[in-house]
Amino acid sequence: MPTKKLVTRYLDDLALFPDRYHKIGVVFGVLAAVILPFLMGDYGLDIAHKGLIAVVGATGMMILTGFCGQISLGHAAFLAIGGYTVAILGGTFGVPFWLALPIGGVLAAAVGLMVGPFALRLEGLYLAIVTIGLLFLVEHVLRNGLEMAYAKDYLSVPMHSWFGSAPDDVLGSFREDGALSGGQKLYFLFLVIALGTLWVSKNLQRSHTGRAMMAVRDRDMAAEVLGVNAAQSKFIAFGLSSFFAGIAGGMYAFAHPVLTLEPFNLQMSVEYVAMVILGGVGTTFGAAWGALAFTVLLPLAGELGQMLPFPSAFSSEHQAVIIFFPLLCLFLVFEPLGILGIWLRVKRYFAAWPFRY
Amino acid sequence: MTDFVQLLVSGLALGSVYALVALGFVVIYRASEVFNFAHGELLTFGALMMIYLSAAPIDESDLFALGGSGSGGLGLPWGLAALLAITATGLLAVVIERVALRPLVGRPVFVPIIITLFIGFILRTIMVLVWGTGSLPLETPYDAMATFTVGGVTIDYTSVWVILFSGVVLGLFFLLLRFSKLGIAMRATSSDQETALGLGIPVGKVFGVTWFVAGAFAAMAGIFVGMREPSVEAATASYIALRAFPAVIVGGLESPTGAVLAGLLLGVLEVLTQGYINDSFGEMSKNFHAVLPYLVMILVLVVRPYGLFGQRKVERL
Repeated sequence: MPTKKLVTRYLDDLALFPDRYHKIGVVFGVLAAVILPFLMGDYGLDIAHKGLIAVVGATGMMILTGFCGQISLGHAAFLAIGGYTVAILGGTFGVPFWLALPIGGVLAAAVGLMVGPFALRLEGLYLAIVTIGLLFLVEHVLRNGLEMAYAKDYLSVPMHSWFGSAPDDVLGSFREDGALSGGQKLYFLFLVIALGTLWVSKNLQRSHTGRAMMAVRDRDMAAEVLGVNAAQSKFIAFGLSSFFAGIAGGMYAFAHPVLTLEPFNLQMSVEYVAMVILGGVGTTFGAAWGALAFTVLLPLAGELGQMLPFPSAFSSEHQAVIIFFPLLCLFLVFEPLGILGIWLRVKRYFAAWPFRY
Repeated sequence: MTDFVQLLVSGLALGSVYALVALGFVVIYRASEVFNFAHGELLTFGALMMIYLSAAPIDESDLFALGGSGSGGLGLPWGLAALLAITATGLLAVVIERVALRPLVGRPVFVPIIITLFIGFILRTIMVLVWGTGSLPLETPYDAMATFTVGGVTIDYTSVWVILFSGVVLGLFFLLLRFSKLGIAMRATSSDQETALGLGIPVGKVFGVTWFVAGAFAAMAGIFVGMREPSVEAATASYIALRAFPAVIVGGLESPTGAVLAGLLLGVLEVLTQGYINDSFGEMSKNFHAVLPYLVMILVLVVRPYGLFGQRKVERL
């Protein structure tokens, strides 16, 4: 069943925005994203920050799991590495934010590439469990390392503006004054990073490297017979995925002035895998919409839960888990393609209009 | 030397717990090719049920004696309470399989993984809501701290209990798997579901029995963990199952024998590390015993990517 118009030239098939509708959609999307922070309060901005962080992290996950077919439950480890790199660089060395963020990403990628050789030999559940092990190992090293270096298990994250810091400018110009509020500035920074990440992912998908990954995902042995270097593809996927996870971790650190190890747990990894599946495995679209849907719906479920008459006062996180996770399970059982599946159905309806399948 | 023997016994007890948990994972994986990430929550559920069933009924006039955290139990005799808790956990496992995982047969491997993980989170949250976050005491039929001395070595009753009891249970299970009709049906199902179905084996029922057995093992492990501590926390008790993952992988996902051997091995290694290495390398080796199983797992996988006893996959194009 067609969901896009007939392609007659190879170049058309490769185009970033295949037709007029995509271009219009992108323009409107960007417009909406630019206007949005002026309409929201602090709470809304907070969720928007989380959503954009999740988009970057989920895109990293999508490259590894969606494109290359490797299941990783250690994503949170790379976020932690990125986050703590940013915190340490900013706090101890006074490195400005635009330099700390990519360094965090590169360090996470370096660790990811160190794991690569172990991961190349494993598949499926073995890999999933080894990456859980990696998560615990990283957590152990970080916790004890922090204890050793700073004698505390939390760090404050200064966000220095362009070049180094003024002594009393601990939270940096991103938090205060100017025409935009601190949250709005952070939002636009995150928006640029998120759009850039999506652009990289989309380009990867259209390039030789990305197609090689997908061949490995679909049948690695067949891909090797066809001349794809499966090991290399997996290696690149691990590197890119952990790079973006590191960036997302750095963003997370900027959004949370005090960084603790608690949130970087197995649940965070699982949530990233869930975002990817919720959105639709194997597409950049899925990474973006899965991440946004997840981060918006989770607090919404918590809000809803507060209205329900439960016997005692539960925290809204508990409410969110109890309400949102079962719904998510049901959704995954009945809509295997996730949000992408719904979108394809809508698109097909209009593409075939006034006829229907 | 006496230290070593003491640690060895304690390690074997921990290893028996790991073996029970790991065997639960393996049994389920062999039957339905699902890795049940909610296993840790089953374990917690078993222990908490045990507490609920065996704790003395609450005395309304004596709330302060319980520190305000206790809720009354049913006060059943210890053995009966254990049996009921184990059965209840087994049934919970059967329900999970029937409701959540049966519809997913034949779906890509991501989805069952995520579903079982989420079921785990949901169960854990519900248990925290019901039982609270405090640590609850688990009663033992004898004095929990009781020890006896053999040739200068002090050994606590709990370790001996745990080792003996899980030894008997594991032995019975292997006999069942090897000789009974049900065991043969289970092995047939794990080797090829469709052929088993074609030969008239009720595969659905075998799934049910398998999950029940795995749930029962989890509950036993939970009770043992509770006896060793001797208390249970609803929020954190399931981490013991995360620690048992390496045992599953080191032993090989498809091998019950491997799971038991690797469980015992890792338990002993962990306790020995805790006893000898943790304090000797300064800050970095603090709590090192908690991550050692994962290190061992990664090292084993470098040499043998399918674990010690796992099946090497043969792939055809």
